[in-house]
Amino acid sequence: MSKYEINELYGSDSENRHLKTLLTDLGERTLYDAAAQCNRCGYCETVCPTYMLTGRETLSARGRNQFVRLLVEGKAKNTHAAAEALSTCLLCGACTSACYAKVPTADIALEGRRSLSGYGENFFSKIAVETLLKAPNLFALWLKAAYLLKRLGLARLAEGLGLYNFIGMPALKDAQNSMGRPPLRFASEILKKNQALAQKGKTSAAWAYFAPCGPNYIFPEVALATVRNLKKYLGDGIFIENSCCGLLAHNYGRLEDAREFAKKNILRYEKLTGSLGKFAVIGDCSSCVAFMKTYEQLFTGNDEWRPRAAAFAAAVRDILEVIPPEKVKRSQKAGTAGKVVYHDSCRACHGQGIRLEPRAVLKKLALERWRELPESDWCCGGAGAYAFTQTAMSNAILERKLTNIASTQADTVVVGATSCLIQLNSGLKAAYPTAKAVHYSVFLDNFGKRQE
Amino acid sequence: MAYGSKLKKKKMFKPDKFGPVRTELEAIVGPENVRTDEAEILMYSYDAGMAKARPEVVIRFTAAAQVAPVVRILYRAAIPFVPRLAGTNLSGGTIALKGGAILNLSALKKIHRIDTENRVAVVEPGVVNLELQNALAPFGFFYAPDPASQKVSTIGGNIGENAGGPQCLKYGVTCDNVEKLEVVTPEGEVKRWSYRDPGPDLMSLIIGSEGTLGIVTRAWLKIIKKPKYTITSAAAFDSLDNAMIAVTKIISSGILPRALEAMDSVSIKAAGENSKLPFPAGTKALLIIELDGKSLPLIQKTAKRVEDICSQTSASYFRTAGSEEERAALWEMRKGAYPAMARLAPDVLVEDGVVPRPKLPQALKKTREILADYKLTASLLFHAGDGNLHPNIIFDGRDIQEVKRVKKAGYEILKSFISLGGTISGEHGIGVEKRVAMAWLYDTKTLNFFKSLKTAFDPAELSNPDKILPVSVDNRHKIPVESADLSAGAKTVLDELHLRAKDGIKTMILGLGTKINYSAAAQNARPLELKSLDKILDLDRDNLTVKTEAGIKISELKKQLKEQGFSLAIPGLQGSLGGNIASKTFPDMRGLLLSLDLAMADGTALFLGGKTIKNVAGYDAVKLFCGSLGAYGVILSATLRLSINDEREPAPEEPIAVFEPCNYHCRIKKALDPANLLNPWIYGKAESDKKRIANSE
Repeated sequence: MSKYEINELYGSDSENRHLKTLLTDLGERTLYDAAAQCNRCGYCETVCPTYMLTGRETLSARGRNQFVRLLVEGKAKNTHAAAEALSTCLLCGACTSACYAKVPTADIALEGRRSLSGYGENFFSKIAVETLLKAPNLFALWLKAAYLLKRLGLARLAEGLGLYNFIGMPALKDAQNSMGRPPLRFASEILKKNQALAQKGKTSAAWAYFAPCGPNYIFPEVALATVRNLKKYLGDGIFIENSCCGLLAHNYGRLEDAREFAKKNILRYEKLTGSLGKFAVIGDCSSCVAFMKTYEQLFTGNDEWRPRAAAFAAAVRDILEVIPPEKVKRSQKAGTAGKVVYHDSCRACHGQGIRLEPRAVLKKLALERWRELPESDWCCGGAGAYAFTQTAMSNAILERKLTNIASTQADTVVVGATSCLIQLNSGLKAAYPTAKAVHYSVFLDNFGKRQE
Repeated sequence: MAYGSKLKKKKMFKPDKFGPVRTELEAIVGPENVRTDEAEILMYSYDAGMAKARPEVVIRFTAAAQVAPVVRILYRAAIPFVPRLAGTNLSGGTIALKGGAILNLSALKKIHRIDTENRVAVVEPGVVNLELQNALAPFGFFYAPDPASQKVSTIGGNIGENAGGPQCLKYGVTCDNVEKLEVVTPEGEVKRWSYRDPGPDLMSLIIGSEGTLGIVTRAWLKIIKKPKYTITSAAAFDSLDNAMIAVTKIISSGILPRALEAMDSVSIKAAGENSKLPFPAGTKALLIIELDGKSLPLIQKTAKRVEDICSQTSASYFRTAGSEEERAALWEMRKGAYPAMARLAPDVLVEDGVVPRPKLPQALKKTREILADYKLTASLLFHAGDGNLHPNIIFDGRDIQEVKRVKKAGYEILKSFISLGGTISGEHGIGVEKRVAMAWLYDTKTLNFFKSLKTAFDPAELSNPDKILPVSVDNRHKIPVESADLSAGAKTVLDELHLRAKDGIKTMILGLGTKINYSAAAQNARPLELKSLDKILDLDRDNLTVKTEAGIKISELKKQLKEQGFSLAIPGLQGSLGGNIASKTFPDMRGLLLSLDLAMADGTALFLGGKTIKNVAGYDAVKLFCGSLGAYGVILSATLRLSINDEREPAPEEPIAVFEPCNYHCRIKKALDPANLLNPWIYGKAESDKKRIANSE
């Protein structure tokens, strides 16, 4: 496909750990062609949070593209030298939105990460991904053990035992601090028992709810609210009883595992469409949803799975984009939400181009109390486990977000991704406790009525 | 000059120079801000141009006050350095050709003050152009330079390149919009210079010097009140020539649009794919004309005149935007042209050159021919109003043959601009990529003059070394440009000075005798009268410029111009044009001055500038002679921008403050007139001053 077959980034023996080609806005490209499409104009620099905070080219979108390009060309020999540049990328995708050629910097940086020796081989994350993939029940058990200790007032014991680390989600260590009562029943357990969501007896479905890990394991109330909203505004649907989307494995260097997660979900989808016909797969964490929309890219070079992944990806939707504003009416108690702003989760706005849809709904609910958040698409610094792998940077990024929120005197910050929910609430709690971050589904569930 | 083997140089350099000062540098900026790791070095080896070279250390500043001490250390250790901000330079200006240090100033982004009363904003160099605009907007003000890169490029970078942009047609380029600068000189001195200071204008010399004369650490910028009304129109033509004729007619009829932009058919096609604008089929050129002003009826009337001119020149379509959305769509079309090209291929060479406006049709024709010869795809975009062209050539940087063709074609295009009386850069700078073309544009005398300015500021050759000026002059490619035809009177002056120089006779430039302080002048200096240099040499109606001998009385010049229907935006001053330039009676005259012909102390001639409205090739030395008080050279003739029925009321004459030369003034004097022959009292009032000149190494 490409005129240039150079690839000094990785040897043919580790091809499976990498993407065969990237599906870019300009078409299917090899990694080299995708990175070479960056003409170094630099227009991405001012939207790159890590560059804006440090002023260092090394921590900029353009820098990361150039680094991977130099690695591919063999002009930079030491992949380790790239570690700082690559590991500090938030994968927010703001650079791609700003780029005229839509160079997929996040995907390119990830390819670079995958070539870093040892990346993703970290003991805990490896165990976690494998447990989550092969024995999700065991994963749930560990998590519950940790939560139980927290409920018993022994949160620090759970931390001390490294339980959160052990399941590869150090993020939860902090998250559980901001949770009042950590759930002992996960969303999937509750939804599985809900007969109205069962496939049995149905010949068609408007939607299938996909429970991402965040709403499933940490915020079941979000998952339940999403399901109620879907029913209210879109009619009957089912719970898809999915596996993890694979994003964690994908972003932490374990592409082969990510493919396994994807295959499980694709198989599940195909089985259901066999009896129900086509339906939308709707999730309520923008990171997972955006990732699933790109499943096809995982299988470039695999003729069997690629079309199946593409078909699945085409069915995926974000809760943020599916609620028709004309069907939404404001409920009486909506006033209690105070001033409302919306934070564009990176993977919603940059990953999926969703900006207007949630605003249309929220404006109807908030009316005169709606405020536009300055720099609403500036990352909050959550970015999955980023807050824990790059604490100082993450905090600096969060601070700018909090300053912007404070400038609007908001009471409620509506978000669409779990990571933002954790990050913003932990930041607001410390710096601006009168405001609270709330998931879009919960906000809509609390303050919206169906317009008849 | 050969750069030598990089490897060898590195080995020699590192232990010898950088190692011993590392601790000192770290003590100033912090150890985490002095980086020599491979990653950081690689990431500062490129900018948005084609050149690449690795620095040896990257120093990041977190306070403006750190810059001078760091520069002093580097100077002492003879380590070369390059100031750098966003790195969006298109001519390789931020590449560390001699290794050494990159001075990363991008974290210096404070807006110190916005003063709407005095119409000035005080900022640090790392402030992004658009950030400043956003900060000014709530007050109803704006900062005029609006380069296409304004979303990312910084004020410091804009100053380094003397950046322009669409609305510079009316409001001037960066230089016209700077009031004062704080500069760290290459030896680490901190200076504050304003163009209003008495004496030669050093501030304007810094602007566009691409970091070769010093590092700007603070800038006082002119801010302008937003005009109340704006009218944006589009005109389509089925011939590029007709569009260019319309441009010339608009400007020469005295209309000064806020912006006058043009696109050719390739640009229109690339940018217009998604556009719903209904341009007729077969459109070969598009003009976007934007007018602004305080009075709506007035600009509506002007818009009607623009429309009439366009229809007289066979426009196939003319429309004035009826809504803000329509206006945005028009600009989207113009601004979308580069992005569209950036999607067609991995790389885009954004060429930059200027020709006198009436030469635009020829320049475009020639450019198209060259591109066809080299089988290259390019769109032509241009700030038509000031004759500034930007061919955007697409290519793949990995295709070595194609890169060669692109470079060659780029050089051919520049040569064609030069032969049309144009210049090789209007706003992107020379950097390293156009260095070679400087020798095609300028004669050796001028290049040596530039070199002497560089040496005066940076005797150790450390500040962004090997930029702007050619490292070797290849005369084989010299393009014969119509050399300034000197009048008989001017030749006499040159001969006379030549003879006096041989005998060491000092000269008092008398001009018309209105500015001379006779008591001070009593130093055995022989008077030089310039009364006979009183002729207008070239009144270019289409280009709206006048070239005139400098001995002409301002009142006489204004009178003659008025008879021809033109006006000159300077107040009614006493004395001659040259005398008023040299004594800076009207500091804003610098904005009107396009060229100067000079007689130097040794009796040779020096030609600076030309008939183009924009020119950033080489140092902006024309302005250096504003306030030079005759001590640097004798002004023989000057080219000035004209206006028609200018509504602006020129500022009144300002009292001349006493000029106390600083060491840089003295160094330049020493380079240009080592024997202190011209107006000797300026730099030789007392023995101590003479010593100062002698010791200003």
